[in-house]
Amino acid sequence: MAFYEKLMTMDRRVVYITMALAVAIPLFVPFQVPIHTTSEVKSVYDFIESLKPGDRLLIAIDYDPNAMAELHPMALTICRQCFAKGIKLFFVTLSQNGPGMAEQLVSRLSKEFNKKNGVDYIYLGYKPYPGLVILSMGQNFRISFPMDYYGTPVDSMPIMQGIRNYDDMKAVIAFEAGWVADSWIGDANGRYKLPVALGLTGVMTADYYPYIQSKQIIGLMGGLKGAAEYETLAKAKDRIASRGMKVQTITHIVVILFIIVGNIGFFMSRRKKL
Amino acid sequence: MSLNVVKFPVFPHLKKIIFPPRWLILFFLFLILNPVSSYAQEDLSSSWFNYHRVNMLVFLIFFFAVIVIFIERAKVGKSLFIRRIAGLDAIEEAVGRATEMGKPVLYISGIEDVDNIQTVASMIILGNVAKMVAGYETPLYVPVCMPFVVPIAEERVKEGYAAAGKPEAYNRDNVRYISSEQFAYAAGVNGIMMREKPAANLMFGSFYAESLLMAETGLATGAIQVAGTANIHQLPFFIVACDYTIIGEELFATSAYLSKEPKLLGSLKGSDLAKAIIMIILAVGALLDTLGITHFASWFYIE
Amino acid sequence: MGTGEILWNGLALFLTLSIFSILYKDNPFYKIAEHLVVGVSAGYFAIILYYNSFIPKVWVPVVHESKFLYILPTILGVLMWTRFSRKWSWVSRYPIAAYMGIGMGVAIPVTMQAYILVPLYATMQPIGFTSMALFNNLLVAAGVLCALVYFFFSKEHTGAFGGVAKVGIWTLMVGFGAGFGLTVMGRVSLLIERFTFMRDYLQKLFGF
Repeated sequence: MAFYEKLMTMDRRVVYITMALAVAIPLFVPFQVPIHTTSEVKSVYDFIESLKPGDRLLIAIDYDPNAMAELHPMALTICRQCFAKGIKLFFVTLSQNGPGMAEQLVSRLSKEFNKKNGVDYIYLGYKPYPGLVILSMGQNFRISFPMDYYGTPVDSMPIMQGIRNYDDMKAVIAFEAGWVADSWIGDANGRYKLPVALGLTGVMTADYYPYIQSKQIIGLMGGLKGAAEYETLAKAKDRIASRGMKVQTITHIVVILFIIVGNIGFFMSRRKKL
Repeated sequence: MSLNVVKFPVFPHLKKIIFPPRWLILFFLFLILNPVSSYAQEDLSSSWFNYHRVNMLVFLIFFFAVIVIFIERAKVGKSLFIRRIAGLDAIEEAVGRATEMGKPVLYISGIEDVDNIQTVASMIILGNVAKMVAGYETPLYVPVCMPFVVPIAEERVKEGYAAAGKPEAYNRDNVRYISSEQFAYAAGVNGIMMREKPAANLMFGSFYAESLLMAETGLATGAIQVAGTANIHQLPFFIVACDYTIIGEELFATSAYLSKEPKLLGSLKGSDLAKAIIMIILAVGALLDTLGITHFASWFYIE
Repeated sequence: MGTGEILWNGLALFLTLSIFSILYKDNPFYKIAEHLVVGVSAGYFAIILYYNSFIPKVWVPVVHESKFLYILPTILGVLMWTRFSRKWSWVSRYPIAAYMGIGMGVAIPVTMQAYILVPLYATMQPIGFTSMALFNNLLVAAGVLCALVYFFFSKEHTGAFGGVAKVGIWTLMVGFGAGFGLTVMGRVSLLIERFTFMRDYLQKLFGF
């Protein structure tokens, strides 16, 4: 069997093991990679920095545990920045397995910053059918969320006094692992003019760049790289994403090498056939 | 009685809706053109008409009109040309290969609900695949993600088998609800792929992060795979992992081509005309903007 | 690390490795993990729906607040259960029709605004070769036009029209390439998180 034929018929388990090693080894080797910030991430950071204490932000935790690796670090960093600035946060989740993610985030950060439920933040909880929920919140939060996640009527909470709909929010920072992002852009921004900033999984990121040019979103943070950039801008102490970027760098080099090797094999075998 | 043959005398009020009296038209024109009220409405939630989006209404009416006209043309039997989508041959080839091998065909309709037009298109293709499969007497598995899709998928498969003259071959249990959770669904589908080893995997509909997981597993099992989605961000994975990929709007064109349904054909032709108009607007707008004339582009600005 | 944490995190570690084991070949551990994901997810969703939808949107309004209008959508929802009867399954078409009608009504204006008119307006920018910004605008506008030509179904892709369509598909492929690259990053991120979890667990367990 010729060399290029071996390349083409390489057992996929070799690829898996190489990738596993490329991820595992850097985790035990201390080194850092430089993180350069991009304008789309900086615009989100600048927007939050421009807010004043007492301003209100809607935080949408629309991801499941499977997207936690990419979205949890950026959600943590942004919520920390907001709580440190005294911004009031309204948490909501429109993803089926999102309630647990949001609950974890809310309980961890409220303890860390000594924030009170119903005063400094509110966790509205989960409702199915995101598009309809997003539209209903544009009229009144109480339509979809008469009670918060813990079963307390929202009208009994100080944070909800005088709050009706998106007009009372500065923006929504939506952390998205699926098509709910389209609803935030189309329904919340399109219909109710609510400014939208997105935190996205890597898979989705490329698709949402056009909305920056059309000014339908303030900016976006794409995957672990976006999270690492945000940590750099916010000078975060807990740099989970930034630590992951060194592993990303090594694995990307391995992937590029595989692509080159695979293409050499492909073109050589094609030439042989011709 | 089919709705298509309902005449106005049966429902006289329909005529009033379709041809409203003159005073009503004048009233709406007044609302639309009234310059004072158009800027006096600050609280949009309390008004019936958002004056800042009249341009959108005009576009909607125009596109609706174009589509309705083409649908009517298709209904009266006018020939509407649509180029053949290469992916169709790929579907037939995949089903044929499954038949030769005596293995099942797996049909995946995406992870979104019936309100998503891709799921609707997928259901139409499913009906035709069921017809094809029934003809060959090949088993067809349809794992479904959203509960609302299950009854529709059942109906489509049943109709397909009936259309092929083999209603008795339809097995209701082959249309299975797996899970509404994205990755749980993917895990379930992957399990079917690994265990049942279908010879053909057909994936049409709205897909997200689970697309590569399923397509990769299908590739590993050696199945011939044909996929189609309008979710642009998932197309790269289908392109690398599938034998043929139907890209974006080709999915809707495929459903129209297969069904020959006047509504779908008319919609496709109407959207083609709409696209041509958008292309002209875009080219003219960009050129005028370059020359410093921004007034034209501002017609399309939505506040 | 307490006993509970050791056990639960140990179970998580075992399930992670069970899922990874499919990379070697199909096996009982993968099957257990797979069925557990599907089952837990379905059960979790049912409970979440009960407490987040049924209680606040049906039970409380109807029973505690006497808002009987809420019974109407509830009946529509209950009609979906007729799917279980072969004789009455046709009834479920009514809630489906209502749901589809509402869905379409909501989606069409939004699509026209957010995905057609606003991007169209944003693409109508000055174009040219004299600066990078103008050239970028030109690339975007030309790419959009060529891609639209590819999705034009009323004419065969032959001759000059076919050539433009080919440029359109190349443009799309460039976009797909960018998407694929970002996806590699996304998938590796998931792997990093799992490996980090395993490393931290083992470090805590064995103290190295």
